Amino acid sequence: MTVSAIEVAPDSVSSLLSEVMERSGQNLLACYQCRRCAGACSVGDETGFFTPDRLIRTILIGDRTAALNNELVWKCVSCYTCGIRCPNGIQTGRITETLKKMAKEAHIDSPYPKMVHFHDSFVQSGLRWGRVNETEFMASYELKNSLSLLKQMDFRSVADEISRQIKLALSMLKLRRMHFGFLSAKGRNEIKRLHKQFKNKH
Amino acid sequence: MELAYYPGCSLKQSSSLYDRQMRLVMERLGVTLKELDDWNCCGATSAGKTDDFLSIAMPARNLGIAAGSGQSELVIPCSACYSRTLVAKHYLEADREIKETINLGLSKKIVSDVKVLSILEVLLGLIESGELARQLVFKPKGLRPACYYGCMLTRFPFPVPVPDDVENPRGMERILEAMDLHPLEWNCKTSCCGASSAVTDPEVSYGLMAKIIRDALARGANCLVTTCPMCQMNLDAYQDEVCAKHGISERLPTYFITEIVGVAMGMGIKPLEIDRHFVDGTKLLEELERYESEQ
Ligand code: SF4
Ligand code: SF4
Repeated sequence: MTVSAIEVAPDSVSSLLSEVMERSGQNLLACYQCRRCAGACSVGDETGFFTPDRLIRTILIGDRTAALNNELVWKCVSCYTCGIRCPNGIQTGRITETLKKMAKEAHIDSPYPKMVHFHDSFVQSGLRWGRVNETEFMASYELKNSLSLLKQMDFRSVADEISRQIKLALSMLKLRRMHFGFLSAKGRNEIKRLHKQFKNKH
Repeated sequence: MELAYYPGCSLKQSSSLYDRQMRLVMERLGVTLKELDDWNCCGATSAGKTDDFLSIAMPARNLGIAAGSGQSELVIPCSACYSRTLVAKHYLEADREIKETINLGLSKKIVSDVKVLSILEVLLGLIESGELARQLVFKPKGLRPACYYGCMLTRFPFPVPVPDDVENPRGMERILEAMDLHPLEWNCKTSCCGASSAVTDPEVSYGLMAKIIRDALARGANCLVTTCPMCQMNLDAYQDEVCAKHGISERLPTYFITEIVGVAMGMGIKPLEIDRHFVDGTKLLEELERYESEQ
């Protein structure tokens, strides 16, 4: 993995920092770089340069580009281990969740689109029917994936992904762990209306 | 005793065995589960990652239904649903404005505080009252379980008061010990299995699961026990692939806590649907049963 150089951008410090602090509810200024979080991070082996403490540092010095698009933002599994270990109670998991949303708003494409597709498909399914229908949600997820892979002409990955999912689906069928009934909640419109209202206001 | 019950989407689909076990076990222990009427998806961790408002509003509707149910306690066996509901509760209590906005749109409003319980809290209560001890008929003493909590039972993004130790929870161990079993001490009980990254980023989650399985095996475990349908699905459905990738030759049946409690109360493997695991969980239990009856 290439090490991204962190740039110091004093002009953007306050806007980036205050936005992340407000939206994540985390006091990044309390971080004294002890790196306890780095030792705790579940995906620490996978994120290269970006450990939680360094992500915080990146935000503190105002490097918006690096903060919104790095391995930790995309790979964080929200296990919240860093946060319970942090002597200052800083939940980097909340920070990465916030940065994911900010990246989306800034139209930054994740290099790992599958995760974005997964969570989007899940919430859409839950919102549409009031309950998540696993087969519909997984089909929507796979469709989104395949489309973006096909756009990149990556036919090999499409084939690999589909054969992996079919294998899983077949064993699920055998164990009667695949569900074909249809789930919904009658009151789902209450949530849809509230959501719309909220989005219009903000 | 009556409890409001939120099964959630997994327990109605790929983990319907957990729903069934929950009902059978609770009925035997004299607890009547009142499923929330017309409950909706809690949004799981996906809403937390994509839409802060939905991550509160979705569980909030269920809390409103619970408040109107006449029950004072709500049990949520799925760790993810349990966690997201507690987090939403935390937000609603901390932010009056959002609570009022959401309440305005709900037909069943959050008018009272319903206590949210994990399945472990319910079982521990039944141990204290002596009810569980009265129902035990069989001790699968050869079971060497490693209790696996994962992330969502004890770790929250906010200081949510939880009834167990964050670094070294022992609720599950206390339940198994009350059944005269000997759970192992091990290092990975609150490690992360990777959750949805088993689907989206297998390399990461297979690495995390390999660590968990390796540590359990190194301590001499012959099974894992969990409460979370997501952890159970990951460690069960992907175990073969994880082990093949990471050079592990043994396999560990991954039980729901309800399966061990159910078996110890003499409920059969079939009615409990333990034959629906990817890594076979029936042989070990049958062997133990045979062994015990020969003693
Ligand atoms: S553990 Fe907390 S204080 Fe220490 S480096 Fe990490 S975020 Fe900063
Ligand atoms: S919440 Fe994210 S950053 Fe924190 S330990 Fe878990 S994976 Fe690492």
